[in-house]
Amino acid sequence: MKQAAVGSQHQQSTNALPSVGVIALNRMGFGPRPGDLGAFYDLGSTAEERLSNYVEQQLHPQDINDSELDGRVTAAGFETLNKSLVQSWQDHIVNNTQGYSYRILPYRETERLTFFRAVYSRRQLVQVLADFWHNHFNVYGLDYYVAPVFMHYDREIIRKHLLGNFREMLEAVTKSTPMLTYLDNYTNSDDGPNENFSRELFELQTMGAKNYLGVISQEDVPGYPGQPIGYVDDDVYEAARCFTGWTIRNSSSDPVIGNTGEFYYRSDWHDRFQKHILGTKVDADQADLVDGQQVLDLLTDHPGTASHIAEKLCRRFISDNPPQSIVDSTAELFYAQRHSPSQLKKVMRHLLNSVEFRTTWGAKTKRPFEVIVSACRACAIDFTFSVSDGDSSTFFWLYDQIGQPLFGRRPPDGYPDKKENWLNTSTMVSRWQLLNWLITVEDDLGNLRIDVVGQTPANVRSSIALVDFWLNRILGRSIDPAERQHLIDFMAQGHNPNLDLPLDSDENIQTRLGSMVGLILLSPEFQWR
Amino acid sequence: MTSVTRREFLTGCSAAIAAMAGAKLNLTVFGSALEEPNQQILVNIFLRGGCDALNIIPPIAGDDRGYYEAARPNLKIGTSGEGSAIPLNSQFGIHPAAASLADLYQANKLAVVQAVGLHEDTRSHFDAMEYMESGTPGYKGSNNGWITRHLLSADKLSGDPLIPVVALGTQRPTSLQGNLDTLVVSRLDRFQLSYGHWKWREAQRFSLRKLYNGSSAVQVAGLEALNALDIIELQDFSGYVPANGAVYPDGSFGDQLKSLAQIIKLQLGLRIVTIDLGGWDTHRSQGDGAGGYFAGLLGQLADGLSAFYTDLDTQYTKRLTVSVMSEFGRRFRQNADRGTDHGHGCIMLILGGEVNGGLYGQWPGLHNDQLYDGADLAVTTDYRQVLSEILIRRYENPNLGIVFPGYKDYAPLGIVQGPDIPPNYEGWPNPPGTEHTYMPLIRARF
Repeated sequence: MKQAAVGSQHQQSTNALPSVGVIALNRMGFGPRPGDLGAFYDLGSTAEERLSNYVEQQLHPQDINDSELDGRVTAAGFETLNKSLVQSWQDHIVNNTQGYSYRILPYRETERLTFFRAVYSRRQLVQVLADFWHNHFNVYGLDYYVAPVFMHYDREIIRKHLLGNFREMLEAVTKSTPMLTYLDNYTNSDDGPNENFSRELFELQTMGAKNYLGVISQEDVPGYPGQPIGYVDDDVYEAARCFTGWTIRNSSSDPVIGNTGEFYYRSDWHDRFQKHILGTKVDADQADLVDGQQVLDLLTDHPGTASHIAEKLCRRFISDNPPQSIVDSTAELFYAQRHSPSQLKKVMRHLLNSVEFRTTWGAKTKRPFEVIVSACRACAIDFTFSVSDGDSSTFFWLYDQIGQPLFGRRPPDGYPDKKENWLNTSTMVSRWQLLNWLITVEDDLGNLRIDVVGQTPANVRSSIALVDFWLNRILGRSIDPAERQHLIDFMAQGHNPNLDLPLDSDENIQTRLGSMVGLILLSPEFQWR
Repeated sequence: MTSVTRREFLTGCSAAIAAMAGAKLNLTVFGSALEEPNQQILVNIFLRGGCDALNIIPPIAGDDRGYYEAARPNLKIGTSGEGSAIPLNSQFGIHPAAASLADLYQANKLAVVQAVGLHEDTRSHFDAMEYMESGTPGYKGSNNGWITRHLLSADKLSGDPLIPVVALGTQRPTSLQGNLDTLVVSRLDRFQLSYGHWKWREAQRFSLRKLYNGSSAVQVAGLEALNALDIIELQDFSGYVPANGAVYPDGSFGDQLKSLAQIIKLQLGLRIVTIDLGGWDTHRSQGDGAGGYFAGLLGQLADGLSAFYTDLDTQYTKRLTVSVMSEFGRRFRQNADRGTDHGHGCIMLILGGEVNGGLYGQWPGLHNDQLYDGADLAVTTDYRQVLSEILIRRYENPNLGIVFPGYKDYAPLGIVQGPDIPPNYEGWPNPPGTEHTYMPLIRARF
């Protein structure tokens, strides 16, 4: 019986600190695949050395052989994989005669591709960072003008800058067709300003809500004008004026503008008069684009941006409530390196090699995406995330019920990153549903997509041995003895757990083993990271 | 008549548990409505995105009508002809897509509070929602919601119900943060464990219950899910027939309300329900007059509420209060994209059998000098005043200092019926060395 039905101070996972390999593979990636923990162990003679070498590997993704992933993606035959922005716009909007499903195909293929990469790529850190930055610069993937060009957004805007420079990424996002349309800046003009983008630029993408001082005058902000400590509504409005005319080529009637979907600066829409932002004067009549670029500079140069993003990164990689020490040192580095082309690589190297990273466990739970991907990885599933077949449809139907459809967050803030947002009756039941489905789903030939029996070594046959083998395989660490006993009881079903079971000949035992493996995936321990 | 308390159910120590096996058809197994005469049900609907209240309840006469027409040349709701506002009184009307709400208004079951909201200066969705739902305007990070603290501080709640709180959606809203008894569920009719090999499904369930018997955050959530499954799985949702010929609108909001009505009729002791209805952030092409996007969304809300009320208008509406709110209203003037940007003052709708229908709140006016920040409808009524009246008069919970720390200005507007108990503004003491916790860190429920 639980004693405290109420409280925000949930207890954390009670188990001792697992090996650094388990920590790294679960938090720099989507959990270990068979063999990953052994390979990690071989990277050095001390925990620090192994971690440092693994981090360096992951920070140089181009040097990691990813042929298994590449083979699976090629076989899946995605059509929009390498389409340029203009090509996507032409094919899926301007010349589309195949209806809605073809219009949104680039989004749909990106969704599938993202699962492929998370499950099968060896460049795991890249996949985690892509997830982070997609949420940071969240757009709704099914938005009218977003879906047809979403593959391009993923490839050229988000992934291209993951280990690069934040300021460059910020400008690329600001000029991207998905962000321009999703937050309405493409209609922002001198005549009719639209502040939607500018507000979220300050509040979510750079300085963060904690630096928002509300509806007061700029002069009343402490530190004004030299270094205002935060921003106010007038900063948002003034920034919106700076971004007037930042739009896209979407005219079917005006040949000068054209209808290619590309970024386009309309000087006749631009508010040319002077503005004041964060205590700084933005001159009148500046050259094309300079007003907006100056806003991005001012935001990048504000220490609030560094601390906002550092805190989010530390929350993602370490703990729901990361220690201030690592947030501060990460923010300092982020700020100091803000002009470096490899700023984000340096920031990640610092964060991932920190004591705080390698000595924290169980201060986060997996979000639905991480739960499902880590299960697929741990059990070596053979699955094709296709846009057309029935199993994929079932998979994504069940997956979306858990509450984190990929690129499906409508508000611009991205999915929340604290466990209280993901632990409730709905997310628990729906994750159990999909995990159980994965254990029993068969391919076209009637073979289980997770070959539990085939992956079990021939000398592992007693209930105890079967449980221990699969616990080690899936979790890579020991668990509470009472919980282990529950699993053994399930596997033995009242018989002596030391006796070998006829796994190779008895279908009953085979399905029981599958259900036991499912039980490990459904268990509390599997949900922590 | 057999009655099962939550405690008995969770510990499995009641003979009545055995009767549950046959409960699929006998829905009164948990007790009759008369056995819980004071059990109030509050359904709090949050319109996410900031809803355009000025187009739900537009001015239809006087100077304000002139300002309104000038500010919204393309969005305004007309006063004559097809698609015009339905008059509520000489000064205000209601959007024609909400005609079904007009009927409830005329029946004195619907109250409309105008110019209500937060006094905080923010036009951020996220700040405004957090302030409102935490019940701590101006302070973020209290980590528990106003409804959570209401449930903890209300002394007059009777019994120990099986399902005290339902949040319809995939997330527990901020207003219920910290309440781990919440059944979060997006579709009650799909809440089941139906996969896994059939032969081992029951055994797996048995083991799950053991694995989740613990105090970690994951285990608490999982055990709650298993308990809820045991009840919800027994119900026949597809065979449900609404009472009084109620017809729910198509779509997920209507579906949610329909299955909710069914759950209410099970007499499980439901106290609080939250529903999120999103899509109100209408920066662009919101539609004008009686048509377009906004009208469609509003119609869903209005028709859903109307069907829900009709369905429950047997013995249940006497105990039912529905409150509808949003984080803010929208800018008075339309923008260049025929939409509206983030604003300030909004409306609240209060619906129920013991509601005194009518218009409430001081109308601040729409002249330039009367607008908040020269741009938005002002806030003249604190949203906490409206909710406090529901807490005091319906739940007999006067502990406003706990539910809304720092709020001191309560006086009833007269929206709902019930006794007036003097408010208690005393809050919980903060634990040593902390500020703004607003709640003891551990408070045993049983």
